[in-house]
Amino acid sequence: MTDAVRTHGLFKRFGEQVAVAGVDLAVPAGSFAGLVGPNGAGKTTTLSMITGLLRPDGGSAEIDGFDVWRDPVQVKARIGVLPEGLRLFERLSGRELLLYNGRLRGIPKADVERRAGELLSVMDLTDAADKLVVDYSTGMRKKIGLAAALLHNPSVLFLDEPFEGVDPVSADTLTEVLRRLTASGATVIFSSHVMDLVERLCDWVSVMSAGRIVAQGPLADVRGGRSLNQAFLDLVGRSPQDGQADLSWLGARPEAGR
Amino acid sequence: MTTPSPTTAPGPAPGAGNGVLGTVGLFAELKLRLLGGNLRGDAQRKVAFVLTLVVALVLAALGFFLMSLLSLAPDDIAFSVTVMAYASLLVSWMVMPLLAFGLDDTLDPAKLALFPLRTRDLALGLFTASVTGVWPLATLVVTFGGITALASGPGGVLLGVPAVLLQFALCVVASRLVTTVLSGALRSRRGRDLLAVSVILVVLVAQVPNLMMNRGLSDPTAMLHQMAVVLRWTPPGMAAHAIADGGLAGLAEIAVLAVLVVLCGWLWIKALGRALVTPEASGKSASVRRERGLVDRLLPDGPLAAVVTKELKYIRRDPRFRVNWGSALFLTLVLGISMGGDQPSDGQAVFLALLGALMIALMAGNVFGIDGRSLWMNAVVFGAERDLRADLAGRHLANAMIAVPVLAVIAVGSALYTDQAARILPALLASWGMLGVGLGVGSVTSVLLPYTVPDRMNAFTGAAPGQGGQAFAGAVAAAVAMIALAAPFVVPMLLGVLWVSAAAPFYGLLIAALGRRLAARVAHRRMPELLEAVSKPT
Repeated sequence: MTDAVRTHGLFKRFGEQVAVAGVDLAVPAGSFAGLVGPNGAGKTTTLSMITGLLRPDGGSAEIDGFDVWRDPVQVKARIGVLPEGLRLFERLSGRELLLYNGRLRGIPKADVERRAGELLSVMDLTDAADKLVVDYSTGMRKKIGLAAALLHNPSVLFLDEPFEGVDPVSADTLTEVLRRLTASGATVIFSSHVMDLVERLCDWVSVMSAGRIVAQGPLADVRGGRSLNQAFLDLVGRSPQDGQADLSWLGARPEAGR
Repeated sequence: MTTPSPTTAPGPAPGAGNGVLGTVGLFAELKLRLLGGNLRGDAQRKVAFVLTLVVALVLAALGFFLMSLLSLAPDDIAFSVTVMAYASLLVSWMVMPLLAFGLDDTLDPAKLALFPLRTRDLALGLFTASVTGVWPLATLVVTFGGITALASGPGGVLLGVPAVLLQFALCVVASRLVTTVLSGALRSRRGRDLLAVSVILVVLVAQVPNLMMNRGLSDPTAMLHQMAVVLRWTPPGMAAHAIADGGLAGLAEIAVLAVLVVLCGWLWIKALGRALVTPEASGKSASVRRERGLVDRLLPDGPLAAVVTKELKYIRRDPRFRVNWGSALFLTLVLGISMGGDQPSDGQAVFLALLGALMIALMAGNVFGIDGRSLWMNAVVFGAERDLRADLAGRHLANAMIAVPVLAVIAVGSALYTDQAARILPALLASWGMLGVGLGVGSVTSVLLPYTVPDRMNAFTGAAPGQGGQAFAGAVAAAVAMIALAAPFVVPMLLGVLWVSAAAPFYGLLIAALGRRLAARVAHRRMPELLEAVSKPT
């Protein structure tokens, strides 16, 4: 099996702080991959560098064998991106946003309109299609962002925390769409720190900690018989809990009610 | 019971056991700590804070000095000026927080909503926090200057102190009342959009006296007295009069002021109580019309049409665009009227049209800035220089679709206004040329000196914190380059060779195309840096 994404020694530093300290990420084509790690592990920075939104200080990244920084035309035609933060073109309506995005990629207007209509209905956004994105809720933003990322039928899809702040119904819609995409042979890579979700969805896991990949492989291998949550805690290493004694007041009730 | 520290206030309500003074002390301390927090963090913030401090103190000293100089002026002048000064202080207190939210970053009541505070304590605390700070201090000092300006005897001084304190309290309470009442509306997007655009109105109104003076409609002294007469019975007028009077009438006026302050305070507490339990205005989000635009009929299907469609929608829907266009046109209008005078010079129509074009083009000096953090949506698509050229061309086209007719109106209007009908055509052609030059230069500065344009209530806020210098440098560089590049057709026209204007639009097109080419080349190499520059937190 070939790799959809492969990086070598990807490195990024912000001032003094090293955010990503040489990441060698490998994700086989067609897999549903989870990039997990605690807050500040460098997941977002890594994904930004692979998708060409942030210039790395060192190392290289390849998508379907094309170098991200030397062959941007090939790479950008193949990838779909949903970054964190969710800033979209807020003053367009959902439908206008999809139309803009599709036509910017040179897809004929009639095709974009048809695809946008179908995506909006799958995402359950038809009612809100003509409202401005600035008025959308978090869940709706994630869905319209995903729709925009899917519009050109990418072969590799990058999603940064796609399920954060999303209600269970919308989350279910998102996972349905993503499952269908991977079933067709495309690759999905998403970052998360919700282990249950990663365990349920993914067949490939990369664990990041402090700017490095500490484990990577098929879900079963990384898990090694434990729950993914336990495996994650073992890998990342929990800091010793020496402050517990200080919380003795927590839960204590005063004798006299005020 | 010990006083709980402000940051960790467990259990009982802060100040519950130690009365009014405890609450006042607590909130004053909290506000001072917040102000002190400005001294930590990065150097830029420190410099900005110290600068604000110095400016406020200098203004306070200067204001006090000028007010005390008034005691040398004739009584009626001194009185009128003090009334005007007090009235403008009150109005500034009511308007400024709306225009520059965060200039005086006082406590947000919503942040205190979860603490077990009674409304009375909350109001008292918020009032304390409001009067603690450098700007309130400056206001108080300047207001005290009124005593030295007006008081003519011991009675004046005696009444002056409460009058000044009440005028100051009124400033603060009225300011809080306005922001609290409006805060519900301001939290919805529509309210913010509306406010941002209505800022133009404020600027416009502020220009009226200026314009009147320029036109020589009346002499300043008479006007001053007229306005003072109007303001005599407003609260600031009564405060000033109480100081000047120093007798029983003054006492009555102080009583009225006190009632007013209490009334405003009561209304404020009521409004606060309501604001804290009323959920955010659920912006009734209207749908937009789906349209089969003109653009699609005129342009071939593709990225260019997509960009033009999007840009035209943004110009219509984004308050920042509306404010920019509004102020560009307004400035041109003001200059046109104030220069109109009695004997217009020869080149005036041409000059005005050129100026209008320059103003419009200057807006395009940071085209990626308004996209801001949404720019990634373009960045993940653009793989080649060609894509960026199409993007810039779309933006130029959208701008020109509005600017070309607008400039035509300016050229015709100013030529007719100055009675120079023969200049219509040269003015028109020259302004289109200027627009082209400006757009070309603007696309280059957009990629060389990009900065974040904050999307917040005050649409006049130029740049994200720390990028103000860059924004200023960008605008100056753009203006200089635009004027320099326009010189080949502007200079001959100034010398009377008007036929040169026939070539101006073509020259403009050429410069615009060259600018796009250069800008696309730079942007293609620097996309991640460009993205970072326009995505600064605001």
